[in-house]
Amino acid sequence: MTFEQKRKIESLVALSFSGLAAAIGLFWLVYILADVLIHGLGALHISLFFNDPAPAGVDGGGLRNAFLGQMMITLAATLIGVPVGVLGGTFLAEYARGKAIARIISIVSDIMVSVPSIVVGAFVYAILVKPLHHFSGWAGAIALSIIMIPVVLRTTEDMLSLVPWTLREAAFALGAPRYKVIIQVVYRGAATGIMTGILLSIARVAGETAPLLFTSFNNNFFSTDMDRPIASLTVTIFQYAMGPYQNWHSQAWGAALVITLFILMLTIAGRLILKWRYKQ
Amino acid sequence: MTPTTEIEVKSLSFYYSGTIRALQNISLPVYKNKVTALIGPSGCGKTTLLRCFNRMHDLYPKHRYEGEILFQEKNILTPDIDLINLRSRIGMVFQKPTPFPMSIAENIAYGLRLKGIKKKSELVERVERALRHAALWEEVRDKLNSSAYDLSGGQQQRLVIARALAVEPEILLFDEPTSALDPISTAKIEELVSVLKKYVTIIIVTHNMQQAARVSDMTGFLYMGELIEYGTTEKIFTNPDNKQTDDYITGRFG
Repeated sequence: MTFEQKRKIESLVALSFSGLAAAIGLFWLVYILADVLIHGLGALHISLFFNDPAPAGVDGGGLRNAFLGQMMITLAATLIGVPVGVLGGTFLAEYARGKAIARIISIVSDIMVSVPSIVVGAFVYAILVKPLHHFSGWAGAIALSIIMIPVVLRTTEDMLSLVPWTLREAAFALGAPRYKVIIQVVYRGAATGIMTGILLSIARVAGETAPLLFTSFNNNFFSTDMDRPIASLTVTIFQYAMGPYQNWHSQAWGAALVITLFILMLTIAGRLILKWRYKQ
Repeated sequence: MTPTTEIEVKSLSFYYSGTIRALQNISLPVYKNKVTALIGPSGCGKTTLLRCFNRMHDLYPKHRYEGEILFQEKNILTPDIDLINLRSRIGMVFQKPTPFPMSIAENIAYGLRLKGIKKKSELVERVERALRHAALWEEVRDKLNSSAYDLSGGQQQRLVIARALAVEPEILLFDEPTSALDPISTAKIEELVSVLKKYVTIIIVTHNMQQAARVSDMTGFLYMGELIEYGTTEKIFTNPDNKQTDDYITGRFG
């Protein structure tokens, strides 16, 4: 066997293994998505969005309360998490760059990103739910925002660091004060990247169940009171999937499909923005 | 006719990180409406000197100035100097073009807005005037609202010059403005520099000795943080007093 032949066989073996690994990974992904799609499509009915749950065991009803609750919790989490994350990232990249404190915060954020979300749920339970003696939508929103903040903070920091220093110097050289340099020049340069980070962080928290179990809990009735327990899609899916009723299962599939599509859309939007930016 | 002295550098020393001395006891006059070139090998301190004039070093910690830079007879190295005001009077153009991520017109208007000009008609008029001064108007008049990044490198550099000119500075600092450009764009910028000295005093740092010879009236040769020789460009390039200067301009070192 010549050297070239040996090399070709090695290459073929490596290609086969990595191709197989990719196929195994993709198989489950497609299987899960297809499963959700097949079961979910059957449950997608207009009443799923506009009716509240029927009493247990009774057919019909919908998940209007869970859709609304999910939206309210996610929106509140975004409103808390995004400003804190963006401003924190700005501090790290613009005001504390190169200082020890910036590196420490960056590392801590990276650790925070990988903290299991149930730990965050338990933490918020301990500081908000237990002292106040009741579950609430706000507690859920805060738990989700705690998961969001490090993601947004690190992306913001990274995106701002990509803006060349000379651009800042050019703005300073025109006589711009620091806050104007950051808001009017640096943010514009990093806007698409930061926006992508925000979208992906929303996608990240929208599918969380564990932190909500301990905080916003669940509510079988229509409620817009963020100070009380409030329904969410993810917790409802968990509860319905575990339940004994056929129509619960079906509705859980429907909700799973909707939330999957929502996260898929956010992720695609995030990717498209990034791609569009780098095409420029 | 004796030229007016616009800036007088007196015994200037500059330190990075508190202790590393980058400039040593530099004294030189900068004449009004003349082009002063600073030449010397890499690391000789010419850019460091240039960045003293608009106090760019103040952006970074642990810098230290010693001596004085008198701008219209007022020392600009004192801590009470308003840097925002100083930088609007002493503009700067960098080595690489630095257009902001905005439209062509917005780039020019940026400095004007910083100066508090809000009237639309005045902004429009001054944007056009600045672009004409920078010899860019004809090329961009139909696409003022498109992104500044759509321009070529040479056009971007002229845009940046227009942006600096728009705020009507008294001094314009050029830090190797053509080192990232092709020969044709370079020629355009050099031509521009010669024209602009009617309106502003220019200090230019350049690696390119022919460029210094072509565009400047006065030349300073720096080496290892010291000003070795300063005089008219004609004298420095034809009959320098100092042997090091002679060696450098004839290409024997640096």
